[in-house]
Amino acid sequence: MADDREILREVWDGRIPVCFLMAHEEIETLEEPEPYFLLVPRQSYFPLVTDKAHRQFSKHLSPERQQSAEMWLEFDGEPLKWHYPVGVLFDLYGSARTLPWTLTVHYQNFPEDELLHCPCKEAVEAHFMATVKEADAMKHRGQIINGMQKKDHKQLWTGVQNDKFDQFWSVNRKLMESEGEDVFKHIPFRIHQPNTLPIQKLFKPTDDNGEPHTLEHLLTFAVPDLEWPDALKSKRVLVQGIEPSLSTPLLWMSEHLSYPDNFLHVCVVPKVENED
Amino acid sequence: MSGEGTELPSTTEERGERENEAAETAASVPDTDPPSTPPSVAPPSSATPPPTPPAAATPPPAATPHPAVTPASPKATSSTKIDVLLKPAGNAPILKKKKWTVDRHKQIGWISEFIRKFIKTETEDSVFVYVNQSFSPSPDTEIGTLFDCFGSDGKLVIYYCRTQAWG
Repeated sequence: MADDREILREVWDGRIPVCFLMAHEEIETLEEPEPYFLLVPRQSYFPLVTDKAHRQFSKHLSPERQQSAEMWLEFDGEPLKWHYPVGVLFDLYGSARTLPWTLTVHYQNFPEDELLHCPCKEAVEAHFMATVKEADAMKHRGQIINGMQKKDHKQLWTGVQNDKFDQFWSVNRKLMESEGEDVFKHIPFRIHQPNTLPIQKLFKPTDDNGEPHTLEHLLTFAVPDLEWPDALKSKRVLVQGIEPSLSTPLLWMSEHLSYPDNFLHVCVVPKVENED
Repeated sequence: MSGEGTELPSTTEERGERENEAAETAASVPDTDPPSTPPSVAPPSSATPPPTPPAAATPPPAATPHPAVTPASPKATSSTKIDVLLKPAGNAPILKKKKWTVDRHKQIGWISEFIRKFIKTETEDSVFVYVNQSFSPSPDTEIGTLFDCFGSDGKLVIYYCRTQAWG
């Protein structure tokens, strides 16, 4: 696990340049707000990084609306789910060809059917910890996370919230141990495709003969309506913004390319001509 | 699905008292649908399923229980339905009827709303739901996904409570 630490660091340091623009029809002041630029960590969640943008944009709402203004983000007609890591949202909907990633900031017409409300940062924390617990239930029957102290849980969260790699990983490495008795029972993965809920199933790191499962095995199992690897002619498979070889061992990917929520988020998106 | 017409709940509460008996029967009655039927595709031969159980057929305690949750019945084991066992935690009231059959594609947020109405929780009160007695799934998680990953003995156990029970 520890041998590829520099990879963990590279993944952690992934950033996406984002330009926030207020929805034009929602501006209620004569003066138009400036765009707001931010370099957002891939491993983070939008509600953790948009405080300043919110302060800037909400000034352009009418005073009565400012009181209870809840911000939500949209890209190209797609409301963005705050409870997905930023990197997953970008891999699903964004493109490296058009940076910065320009998002529209909304305060009206909250899409109740598509987005969850995010009343406070504690809601993000609760969601994050629940996801870590779910992942450990799949990996270690929950024994590692339940054996930890409350302060370890808190340290995982503050590591993510404050973008502190060492703080996060000094606890997270216990969750990522997969040796001897602690070998992952199942790989916590979610496969995302645009406009659908993610696919999540039980999948072991090795087959019945003890041979390591690869990314291709996972896709064949979890996305059987596509023919793998032929589907790569029309689809891109993105994990943490990269397109890994389908022969990459899945356990290694789980240990090194999972998001802080301990899930390996795999995005399967349509291939666009001349995509870099 | 051919079995859908028989899922109508009976009109009295006695049904709830006999649920365990019914559940055991359910396990032993062979599924009339082909097991390989993909969850989202209805067999071409199946007639349009009857719309929804009439409101009168829902158990009395519910304010407005959603018609898509029907009490478990022997014919309810088709691949698109999940048997869900609702258990109270903490000081949450016990539901008269614990075992329900739920469409795989229903989301967990919908289940908590259902429980909230069923235990007559005031709207400002929260209902927390837990899987595996450990984590609270995101409200947009599908029941089918949770069943695939955390179901056991052919059913998904969901704990509910009014205060946070597990972390």
